[in-house]
Amino acid sequence: MTSENSSERVVVRLDGVRKEYGQSVALDGVSMEIRTGEAVAVMGPSGCGKSTLLNMVAGLDRPTAGTINIHGDDLGGMNETGLALFRRRRIGMVFQFFNLLDDLTALDNVALAGQLTGTSARQARKRALELLDELGVADRRNDYPATLSGGQRQRVAVARALMNKPSLLLADEPTGALDRQSGEQVMNLLLDLNRIGQTLLVVTHDPRLAERCATRLVEFEDGRIAREKVLERTA
Amino acid sequence: MSAVWKAARSAVRRRRLQTVVIALVVLLSTATMVIAMGLLDSASRPFDRAFDKQRGAHAVAAFDLDKVSADQVSATARRSGVEAHAGPFDQTSVSLAPGSVSFLPGPLTVVGRGEAGGSVDRVHVWNGRWATKPGEIVVNQTPPFSGGAPFPLGGKVVTPQGTKLTIVGYAYTMSRTADAWVTPEQMKALHPTARQMMYRFSSASTEADVAQGIGQATAGLPKGSLVATQSYLTIKKDVASGPGVYVPFLMVFGVLGVIVAVMIVANVISGAVVSGFRHIGVLKSLGFTPRQVVGVYLLMVSLPAVLGCALGAVGGVLATDPLLTSAFQGTGMDLSGVAVSWWVPVAALVGMPLLVVLAAALPALRAHRLSAAEAISAGSAPHRGRALWIQRRLGGSSLPRSVSLGLGLPFARPARTAMTLVAVLLGVTTATFATGLASTVNEFGKAGDHTSGAQLIVQPGQPQFGETAPKLDDPQTEKVLRSLKGTESVTVDVHVPVSITSSKKVVAEFWRGDTSARDFRDQIVKGHWIEGPGQVAASTAFLRDRGLQIGDRLTMEVGGKPARVTVVASLMSQRDLLYADWRALSALDVDVTKLNSRFQYLVQVSPGTNIAQYTDAVRAADPGLYARPNSDSSTFEASVISLSVVLTLMLVTVAGLGVFNTVVLNTRERRRDLATLQSLGMTPRQVIGMTVTSMAAVGAIGGVLGLPLGVLAHRAIMPIAGEAAKVDLPARMLDVWHAPVLLLLGLAGITIAVLGAFFPARSTTRMATAEALRSE
Ligand SMILES: Nc1ncnc2c1ncn2[C@@H]1O[C@H](COP(=O)(O)OP(=O)(O)O)[C@@H](O)[C@H]1O
Ligand SMILES: [Mg+2]
Repeated sequence: MTSENSSERVVVRLDGVRKEYGQSVALDGVSMEIRTGEAVAVMGPSGCGKSTLLNMVAGLDRPTAGTINIHGDDLGGMNETGLALFRRRRIGMVFQFFNLLDDLTALDNVALAGQLTGTSARQARKRALELLDELGVADRRNDYPATLSGGQRQRVAVARALMNKPSLLLADEPTGALDRQSGEQVMNLLLDLNRIGQTLLVVTHDPRLAERCATRLVEFEDGRIAREKVLERTA
Repeated sequence: MSAVWKAARSAVRRRRLQTVVIALVVLLSTATMVIAMGLLDSASRPFDRAFDKQRGAHAVAAFDLDKVSADQVSATARRSGVEAHAGPFDQTSVSLAPGSVSFLPGPLTVVGRGEAGGSVDRVHVWNGRWATKPGEIVVNQTPPFSGGAPFPLGGKVVTPQGTKLTIVGYAYTMSRTADAWVTPEQMKALHPTARQMMYRFSSASTEADVAQGIGQATAGLPKGSLVATQSYLTIKKDVASGPGVYVPFLMVFGVLGVIVAVMIVANVISGAVVSGFRHIGVLKSLGFTPRQVVGVYLLMVSLPAVLGCALGAVGGVLATDPLLTSAFQGTGMDLSGVAVSWWVPVAALVGMPLLVVLAAALPALRAHRLSAAEAISAGSAPHRGRALWIQRRLGGSSLPRSVSLGLGLPFARPARTAMTLVAVLLGVTTATFATGLASTVNEFGKAGDHTSGAQLIVQPGQPQFGETAPKLDDPQTEKVLRSLKGTESVTVDVHVPVSITSSKKVVAEFWRGDTSARDFRDQIVKGHWIEGPGQVAASTAFLRDRGLQIGDRLTMEVGGKPARVTVVASLMSQRDLLYADWRALSALDVDVTKLNSRFQYLVQVSPGTNIAQYTDAVRAADPGLYARPNSDSSTFEASVISLSVVLTLMLVTVAGLGVFNTVVLNTRERRRDLATLQSLGMTPRQVIGMTVTSMAAVGAIGGVLGLPLGVLAHRAIMPIAGEAAKVDLPARMLDVWHAPVLLLLGLAGITIAVLGAFFPARSTTRMATAEALRSE
């Protein structure tokens, strides 16, 4: 899968998105498109606005100017509840520091996402178990996050993000807090997901992750897109 | 030390809300405690001081003139245990004949005494001078407080034998040794009936001491020669009984306030320690010793605690002073120095911060134990098996996920939840207790005054005070009043001093007219209202003092024939009261118009009657009739009622703040979890719902447990308060609980918890979710 994807349906469209935090400008007029099946890697020095971009796309924060369209829906036209319902259906998120709920087991952390969409507890746990199984952490389903390794936690987090079959998976430095080996495993996981059609937007510091996973690389500098290139995937 | 100070200061700055909550909580509970302790401490102090100043008599004894000689009585002063004495003085009872000033109630106990001073019972002459020659009399009277009627000098006291005595002075004795004094020479002419002797004993702190002192002094005297004795402790109790009623419940308020404060401080600190794990780690990695870290946390609460305590102590003292003044008004005691003693605010200033630091120390010691590495890595909170099991069960339930998550939250931090529960519970207990208390105090205040229910009191004018003498006699007055437009009921009441065989004299009230219109029924503790001339109703104080019960028979006498009557009702009152039917006056063979007693007409007008116009109509009917609106409510009761309302509001506010604070801490700690849930697509409403659910559960349990505790506290405390006031409270006054009120109070717990949860939860959802997720 390479540049042919550009002919497919647009999932995300950003148009002149600008974000200011008081005096500082985190995003300075960003326009870009992501199409179904693409895996876009965002790179750039720390503080250049990568996380801000992801949060905008997830509807967790609103742009100061510009528009964001996901599947043709203008996020600017939605209220907080609308954005929450949108996230439930369309978005899966993975974070550098996992953000699992400490009081819930691995299984319940994953099932929780399903239960929010109205799936019954039994159904949600059933699907959560399947996902944990696919991601190779089914044996830890009844353990609590505090007792899992970083790599295991991140796989649980990915399972949770996939629970509602999102049309877009967002990952903010998913390997940033992991050791090399765990990082590799999560990388492979994301690659496999993209291979079976999952649209991906990944923020990373790690050129190897970008090289291996992404179909397109977007480089940020000072809140702006500095370079963009289409990648031949090495793996 | 300066590093600790600096770190504590910045910690205070970062926790503005908690700092304000601690300061407020400590302020309110300190103020409550100071008021309670101040009243407790001062209830008997004005008496003690005035008593000491007058060198009051520990015991006053009356001896039978015929059985012992003056020398024999004098000899009792030389017995061991007697430290000082005054007397013997001759004493007699003088009835008042027409021509006497009208404000004196009746038979006077008159003592022949050469001087006001002496070594015991230094009578305070506050107007005029002491009697120096025959024909002069000094009357025992408490100085009027501002607004009270003046007492004129020069008035006459006329005895039935025709002796005319001129009032040359008004004096006041703390020891209540006489109603009036004359010179010893004059006393001889009045035919004394007893010898009075006053003693101060070397030890007299208890009733037993006083009894023993009397026993030692009078041992060996002929049998039956000691006619009567009176201990100063009885008078002291009597004087303190006014403010004494309210001390027990104020103590309860104060103790509740302190417990609430301790709970909240412990809660705040443990929350600060838990949510400050990283902060602790950073401090330790910077080279703070564990002890210094604990110091930072203790200092962090001490700053607002000391501030709150200082303000609370000042506020408490300021609130107590007017209360004390109104409590002792009209007791004749010098009120200028009735202030809260210095030790009360000092104890509060030392005790409260100490308590706060103790409450903070336990959770702060956790910071002591925490290793720097552990703290910096800020590992997830330790888990408890049962709590997690509950979470799992809830997760599998068919409840909406936001609700089941909310129900699980309290189990994640059991210690914090327990403290929150106690805060809510005490809040509800306090609200329940205080509501009941306010109702009871209110009922008590209403019923304590028999003129309540009457809007107007009409009294004949007194020419000696410059008022117009009435033209109409008693029956005519009643008739005229009944004929006036708007009159609904008229009750006539005359106060007559009555002797009761083998017991103390009492001023009895004789009633006629529409007695059913008065609120007497509200005051009945036991028995039924008077139904005929052979029956009397007495106050509980009257019955207690004389060891009488309902059904007992008394013999009354007012100079004429004696009459036997039966006590049929006990009425709630601290005063020595006896009520009788008007017709009993004829059984007693008394012509009430010949007595020096004043009539009083209590008038109730129909609703909508203009009181001013009615008053004018009364004056038009007879310019000698003085009508005044009945606004006879005690300022002390009024201030206690409003104080209890204020205290209730204060404690409910404190409890609410405590819950609010807990929820804020919980919510802050869970900021990232809440943001995660929002990133998973939980709506703001669901997040608020979840947080509110978690606290509503705690609030419901707190309410359900707090309610019966509040009712029990009310049931337990009110009779104690009644005991202190020498009244038996009718059951009706304790039955202030009705289903709607109870329901409302029960809901109060949930309401406090829900309100405390709602606002911080809402502010979380308004906070940038992205920001919360950034944090590691
Ligand atoms: N909530 C915020 N408040 C203020 N400034 C912020 C906030 N979030 C991000 N910024 C600033 O915006 C810029 C971009 O941040 P971010 O998108 O997190 O960068 P990164 O590329 O490292 O992920 C940075 O300068 C950061 O300090
Ligand atoms: Mg970032």
